[in-house]
Amino acid sequence: MSNPLILTLSALNKRFGKRQVLQEIELVLRPGECNLLSGGNGAGKTTLLRILSGLEKPDSSRIDMGNGFQSWRRSRADLQKNVLYLHQQPYMFDGSVRYNLGYALPGGLPKQLRNNMIDSAIDWAELNHLHDTPAKSLSGGERQRVSLARAWLRNPQILLMDEPTANLDQEARRRTLDLLRSFKKEGISLLLASHDPIHFSSLIDRHLHLYDSHLVEIEDQKLMQIPQLQSHVSLRSTA
Amino acid sequence: MGTLSDTTLAALNLLLSGNAELWEIIAISFRVSGVAILIASPPALLVAFLLTYKRFPGRRLLISINSTFLSIPAVVIGLTFFILLSRQGPLGEWRLLFTQTAMVLGQIALAFPILVAMGHSALQAADRRAWETARTLGANLMRAVFTIMREARFGLMAAFLAAFGRIIAEVGASMMLGGNILHYTRNIPTAIALESSKGEFAQGIALGLVLLTLAFTLNALLQHIQGKGQPVS
Repeated sequence: MSNPLILTLSALNKRFGKRQVLQEIELVLRPGECNLLSGGNGAGKTTLLRILSGLEKPDSSRIDMGNGFQSWRRSRADLQKNVLYLHQQPYMFDGSVRYNLGYALPGGLPKQLRNNMIDSAIDWAELNHLHDTPAKSLSGGERQRVSLARAWLRNPQILLMDEPTANLDQEARRRTLDLLRSFKKEGISLLLASHDPIHFSSLIDRHLHLYDSHLVEIEDQKLMQIPQLQSHVSLRSTA
Repeated sequence: MGTLSDTTLAALNLLLSGNAELWEIIAISFRVSGVAILIASPPALLVAFLLTYKRFPGRRLLISINSTFLSIPAVVIGLTFFILLSRQGPLGEWRLLFTQTAMVLGQIALAFPILVAMGHSALQAADRRAWETARTLGANLMRAVFTIMREARFGLMAAFLAAFGRIIAEVGASMMLGGNILHYTRNIPTAIALESSKGEFAQGIALGLVLLTLAFTLNALLQHIQGKGQPVS
């Protein structure tokens, strides 16, 4: 039995000036499913993630998040509530790691509960030795873990990540993938944009590829290892 | 008139002896300029925020107009408000001319474009991902705005101090709108102008020293704040 849908995106179009970046994009995201989104530089991966997180307005689109299809503008509040977007280089607010984690929690929580939740996130992301460190001084891998811990506290239905393992060493990449795996286990839908599909082979359920402003699904998982063949016949349009 | 050193010593004596009239003038200066900066800051920062984060028709024109207001002499601001507030003017019924309120209005008009321009620069320099991260982490509009202000606080504090330094030292608007009335609207710059014209240089220099000390304190504070705002290496 297939998982219930969280988000269905239909007829998404986005143009920057004269350049059509995304055309008639169709996409379905399901709980606990990990989708990999690949594509060349400027293919529109980041734009698609930003539209899905409510940060970028498309030219046209229809989105269903369980209440029937609506325009992006009408869905925006739902997107901002349920979808979390993590930048390629996560932004850390000025303050300690604890402050940054606390930011993801809603205001008005009792102090004790708040501290307990932050402590749990610190344990979850193995940040124990860093909790009082200024977040801006962290390395790339540590920032990535703090941003994932913030996401864990925020508990979104959908997590969008832009190049989650870019510029990370092997150990940092392994830790990031472990954390992504635990998100998946918790039923959160993942959409990961990456140039390096091969790093995610053990994690992904579907491989989507942006090619010539269209979104296609790569059915043959072996093609993940051969990006130059991604315009091959085994691509299937998601539309 | 004695030598410069005699006059300066007399000025220091006036300051340190707690001359009531002198300290009253200083208090009026700080009160008027403090109120003006407190009133001007919230709307100016909001405008700076909108200019940074919203795209709307006429935005660039607004930025240019604001930059133009930066170079308007204080006396022209004073003259404009004088015309507005004088008996025959459109706001004459408010009977504000030659009051501290009129001085506050003039100083707000002087501080506003400085706060907008420097606030806009500070917010533009802030990382745009800060806004997006705040929003995607569930911050509502108000919380996200305060987060950005917090992230850009060093630049915004610089704007605040620069504007305060400008208005507490201006003479044109205060003279025209306040009228330099002793115990009521006489502030540091108007008192310096008056005392100098009378040949009473000691009080003028004493007040000048206060302004100089204030300028030094603001600059030292600014340096300290900007030093704190350096990115962590």
